[in-house]
Amino acid sequence: MTSPGSAVDSLSAAIKCNIIPNQEYLLQGSVLDQYVEVLLHRLRGLCDNVDSGPESFNDHELCFTLRGNTPNSSMVLPLRVRRALDVPDAPWQLRYVGQHELGDKNRPTAVRSSIDMACSSTIVEFLTELGCRVDFEYIARGYMFRKGRMKITVSKIFKMGSMASKPNESVEPISQSYLVELSVLAPSGQDAIAEDMRIFAEQLKPLVQLEKIDYKRLAHIQ
Amino acid sequence: MSYNSNSVNISVEAPIENQIQEITYDGTEIYQPPLTLSESLAKFAQKIDFSKSNELDIKKDTDEAFEDNKSDSDSKDAFQSSLWPWDSVRSKLRSALQEVCVLADVLAIAKEKRYLVLDPVQQEAVETKPMVQIYARKKALAGAANVLLTGAERLKTSQNEILRNRQTPDFHIELLRLRQNWRLKKVSNSIIGDLSYRTAGSKFFQSGMFEVTKAEEEEKTSSPPSSPAPGIAQVSKSNSSLRVTVPSELQGVAYIEVLCQKDQEDLCSVNLNLLGSGPPTANPEVHWQQKLEAAQNVLFCKELFNQLAKEAVQLQAPIPHMVVGNQIMATVLPGIQLVIGLCHSATADKKNQQTAPAPSKSDHDHVLEHSLHQLLREVHHKNTHHPFPHPSSAPLGPSKKRYLAGPMAADRHELLEMTHTETLLEQIIKQAQHFFMRMRTEYVLDTIAKEVKDPLISSHWNTLNSPTQSCVKINISTHGYDAVCRTPLVIHVGEKSLKCICRDGKVMHMSYEPQELRDLIFCHINQHQILAVQALAKTMGWQFLGNSNHLGLGSVEPLGNASSCLLGSPNGDRVIAVRCEPQSGVQVSVAHSPRTDFFPSRLVTERKWEHLGGQFRDVRLEKMEGRNFLHKMELLMASLTSNS
Repeated sequence: MTSPGSAVDSLSAAIKCNIIPNQEYLLQGSVLDQYVEVLLHRLRGLCDNVDSGPESFNDHELCFTLRGNTPNSSMVLPLRVRRALDVPDAPWQLRYVGQHELGDKNRPTAVRSSIDMACSSTIVEFLTELGCRVDFEYIARGYMFRKGRMKITVSKIFKMGSMASKPNESVEPISQSYLVELSVLAPSGQDAIAEDMRIFAEQLKPLVQLEKIDYKRLAHIQ
Repeated sequence: MSYNSNSVNISVEAPIENQIQEITYDGTEIYQPPLTLSESLAKFAQKIDFSKSNELDIKKDTDEAFEDNKSDSDSKDAFQSSLWPWDSVRSKLRSALQEVCVLADVLAIAKEKRYLVLDPVQQEAVETKPMVQIYARKKALAGAANVLLTGAERLKTSQNEILRNRQTPDFHIELLRLRQNWRLKKVSNSIIGDLSYRTAGSKFFQSGMFEVTKAEEEEKTSSPPSSPAPGIAQVSKSNSSLRVTVPSELQGVAYIEVLCQKDQEDLCSVNLNLLGSGPPTANPEVHWQQKLEAAQNVLFCKELFNQLAKEAVQLQAPIPHMVVGNQIMATVLPGIQLVIGLCHSATADKKNQQTAPAPSKSDHDHVLEHSLHQLLREVHHKNTHHPFPHPSSAPLGPSKKRYLAGPMAADRHELLEMTHTETLLEQIIKQAQHFFMRMRTEYVLDTIAKEVKDPLISSHWNTLNSPTQSCVKINISTHGYDAVCRTPLVIHVGEKSLKCICRDGKVMHMSYEPQELRDLIFCHINQHQILAVQALAKTMGWQFLGNSNHLGLGSVEPLGNASSCLLGSPNGDRVIAVRCEPQSGVQVSVAHSPRTDFFPSRLVTERKWEHLGGQFRDVRLEKMEGRNFLHKMELLMASLTSNS
């Protein structure tokens, strides 16, 4: 058996060798409710093995933030906890998602660092004990597709109702549209996949405009 | 003018009928508004042709001048006309100048807008006769339609003519059909297709490119006179305008041959041949669909064999697998080899194959060949059908089991186990092993059922089984006494072992040796006999005095132990002893405890001692009446009971 010290060494070696998929290449867009069927139809035509129909999902996500100890420190660490409501035996997922890096115009997709792991349901208590606060929560329902390494999710975001204990009931949609995301989790430096994503996004063009969204600009608009 | 007194004044005026501008769908007519006074004035003024009156004036002027000239001098007439050849031109220019000047003046005044206003004048609509127009249009359209129809007819006939002459479908239609079933793309000037299983999940290195070209017409037209004999080939050749060129390594026919061999000696004499006469592939001009399917099959077989060979080299088996040429040999069970061969006959060496007398080994196992195909297809399927992650933000790659490893705190050993997957070769060896186990079990059960007649042995194979597991239920019963006693057994046939669940719930594990099963069944036959006798005794009113399943007396048995039981008659004067041995069969002895006659001897002086039990005497069962052992026992018991 290997000693713990060498395990840490091998982990750091793995990080150095860029074999850990910790970069998420992301394109986002949205489609109105009345056209989502058309989009799903198109995706069924484009994606891999959808002979058994599109895979649906129903996830509940809690966003926690961990703030620095000193009152004037501005460091905020966002952590996301997600669980599948429709697959009760699936593990929960804890995920850290970093800042969007939009890059210049030549870069086809946004890139953000992403570290995720499966965990048990006690993660919420654990994070609360750590001092994390629930920032917001929502429910995402929709369909996911895959094309090679690419994952495409078409999801509707629901606001949580007053009954937090029963997340399946009393939810209301946030908008009249579906969120469409095209993402690939890859080790850093694999920019070729971004080009593939751009080509795939081109094929969905008239239905949904998948782009790298600048969140800061969105904040300015509001 | 005079009017009669009775005459009536008739005023004639234009009807107030305005022009209809529009008729709406409900029939109401919308009239044009009547012209106002100024508008009608303008309209009338427009009708005046000023140029005409001008011309008349000028004509008059010239006529007058002409007459004047005539009267003045007739002699000068010719001369003057020659003197003023430009006279008419001059006058025309002058009048033009005048008009332009007037126009300029008018424009100048009109610009002032004080004395003169220019009004647009509506052009009077040209009177149209709708019916006439319709007829005209109809006629014109009919003419055009005729032209088109005759043109279409001519095209159709010419097309039919071509079709009748060529007998080959159109290249583009053929191409369309090809496109519906195969992947094609255009690379510069050529059409390249792909028949590999890559889109279905294959990761085989060899590509399945093929090229599609147009079949030449000249070749066909020239070949019939030169070779009249192969007429049939000509027909099949001429019904395609496509030519598909498959790389040479994918040509021909291939299949995977699976043989199971018993002896080492046989191994050397194995030669792989095409089964039977082989499909008729010598004809190079088969239809492209068959050609491509055959090529695809070749590719699939190659991938399968390649994978198996790779695994055979890598696998660490107690008896190493051998890969020689296009054969893989693996030991399934001691003395039994599984030979997997790749048979690929290209069209060129097909003739050699046919000339050689093919001593085809017909023990090719179609079931195992089929399962090999199935296994590779399963691998392909798994390559493309990854399960979706839940929740949806989880990564796509890792399996659900591995994703759960974190929360379930899996250790290194478990993680290593997750990475291990069973290879195709291992799976097919297991299937072959099971196949042999099943065959052996069947054989053992059948031979025992044939050998042993007395208790009947019936076996029921479950119809539902997997490639590596099946189950058989065995019933041991005696004819006519099924209700009295039956011994059920269940045997699970695995890959290298058998599991038997006995009547009393005991589980016995056995190896692949058939003798073990045979012994077990014989032990159970004995047990059945003893138990059946006991059950029969109960129904006959006899007493069950004692039994032993493992008797320590008598000669040592080669397998198992002898079992015995003692039965007492209802009034206790007779005892039957039964001893069952797996090897030598059943022995029955009878003892009469008070003998019917008593002769005092020196040792036994009184009659009462006779109750202690007497000597056992053997019953010669084979001489007895009765269909089987239990029947004989029933008769014996009955006779002994009635005697007392």
